[in-house]
Amino acid sequence: MTSAANASHVASALSVIDILSVLYTGTAVITPENTEAADRDIVILSKGHAASALYTVLALQEFFPMDWLQNYCQDDASLGGHVTSKGVPGVELSTGSLGHGLPYGVGIAMARKMTGTAGRVFVVMSDGECDEGTTWESAMIANHHNLDNLVVIVDRNRIQSLTFTEDTLKLEPFANKWEAFGWEARVVNGHDYNELTLAVTKSNSPVCVIAETTKGKGVGFMENSILWHYKSPSGSDVEKAFFQLSENY
Amino acid sequence: MRDTFAQTLFEEAKKDKNIILMTGDLGFGVLDRFQQELPNQFINSGVNEQSLMGMAAGIASTGKRVFVYSIGNFPTLRCLEQIRNDVCLMNNSVVVVSVGAGYAYGPQGYTHHALEDIAVMRALPNMQVIVPADPIETRILTQLLVKSKLPSYLRLGRSNEKNIHLKDINIKQGKFIEIEKGKFGTLIFSGSIGDIALEAAANLKLIGYPVSIVSCPFISNLDHEYLVVAAAKGPIVTIEEHSSRGGLGSSILEFLSFAKITSSLAIIAAEQKNPSQVGSQEFLRKSNGLSSERIIEKFRALLEF
Repeated sequence: MTSAANASHVASALSVIDILSVLYTGTAVITPENTEAADRDIVILSKGHAASALYTVLALQEFFPMDWLQNYCQDDASLGGHVTSKGVPGVELSTGSLGHGLPYGVGIAMARKMTGTAGRVFVVMSDGECDEGTTWESAMIANHHNLDNLVVIVDRNRIQSLTFTEDTLKLEPFANKWEAFGWEARVVNGHDYNELTLAVTKSNSPVCVIAETTKGKGVGFMENSILWHYKSPSGSDVEKAFFQLSENY
Repeated sequence: MRDTFAQTLFEEAKKDKNIILMTGDLGFGVLDRFQQELPNQFINSGVNEQSLMGMAAGIASTGKRVFVYSIGNFPTLRCLEQIRNDVCLMNNSVVVVSVGAGYAYGPQGYTHHALEDIAVMRALPNMQVIVPADPIETRILTQLLVKSKLPSYLRLGRSNEKNIHLKDINIKQGKFIEIEKGKFGTLIFSGSIGDIALEAAANLKLIGYPVSIVSCPFISNLDHEYLVVAAAKGPIVTIEEHSSRGGLGSSILEFLSFAKITSSLAIIAAEQKNPSQVGSQEFLRKSNGLSSERIIEKFRALLEF
């Protein structure tokens, strides 16, 4: 999909796909049948550059036909290189500019509180995205308004656009930061389905799950490599990647 | 205008629980009643316009009509991308309300002068830009915005503006409001600068050159029909408390040009020769070329009298 579209961010997608799989296979109450229900769970992929992972999960869960994936990034396709909501069932918010998903999710969580509407809000963010000021503004707001219906999952792969997060703008002590903002922080293995499922259980405060992940997970030559934030896999790369993924999963 | 807005929205919100008012920690003494009597429909998010606008979009996505109140450039330029992506392109039902149009906060310095907001808001997809001229227009347009679901920008003056209209008026979406008819030309204004326009029109009448005078509250939805007739009748002069780039005059010029209508048009807008200048609204208007004398000069040149 990424190769055919000559698109970037395949490693970001491999990093987050387990998190999205856990959410869309039952952890979040969102199905092709309830996408308009007022009390559905909301999933926002704020790291919009990992769109290919979200689209794949949505297609597998039958939110839209599998063959849409073939048109990813093509002329006039519904599925753009960054997460697009228009005409795409299951997508709540178009993203691609970092730092937008959390304020939007905070707004929905707050509206649910105001009206006593059930359903939780899950915002999946990148760790690089935590450089954005809106992340910490919104963290304060969510705590102030006791939004215990809000869960942030940070895809903590430790790599951002140009280099490692800790060499760019230190996030550590990361869990402590969220705790200092009044959130419950839970650090888990972001590729372990059981750990992820347990990590998003309800608390009496907003929850931040720091999902320790590997960028490019499952494909040796992509893992923890800065290059694969942008590089699009060519024919032989694709073959190798599929082989390794089939070995690893 | 701001008090009329707050009072009107309060009355509407009492009847409709879906109306939410948000502020970025501004509106002291203006929003108090709303906050006290309708606490479940009021949110002060703190000083954080970008998160505020993103939240407003999220709240609106659940079926609410959200008004976001702030001053000057804070609810527009400071959070422009949130307005573009999360409000406009997601078509969420948010009304951005800014108090302090043009030089209304003149003494506070250029951080508080709002002179590019119309141009920027008007460029956004799905955005309706609405500029009332006085408290009467503010009341009617606020009521209209409550009913509309479109992403919107409401540009308000500050306080103590006089009513330009002497009687209650009818406002129709996309129509100019004609205050007086005159056969020699048309004077179009937008916002509280209407007081200067009215003064100029009265003087033109005295010297034997009566012109039509109209208020234009719908800048992103101009009254094309009226403009076609006005351009055929005689010269058009526009005045606005905003940059000449992208504001009222500019949008009228675009329409006339796209429609291939030959016209004689003069645009009067804030000159911004010295953006650091501070002073009262009256002083800054004068020193930036916004005066009734300038309007008369322009008509004099175009009508050659």
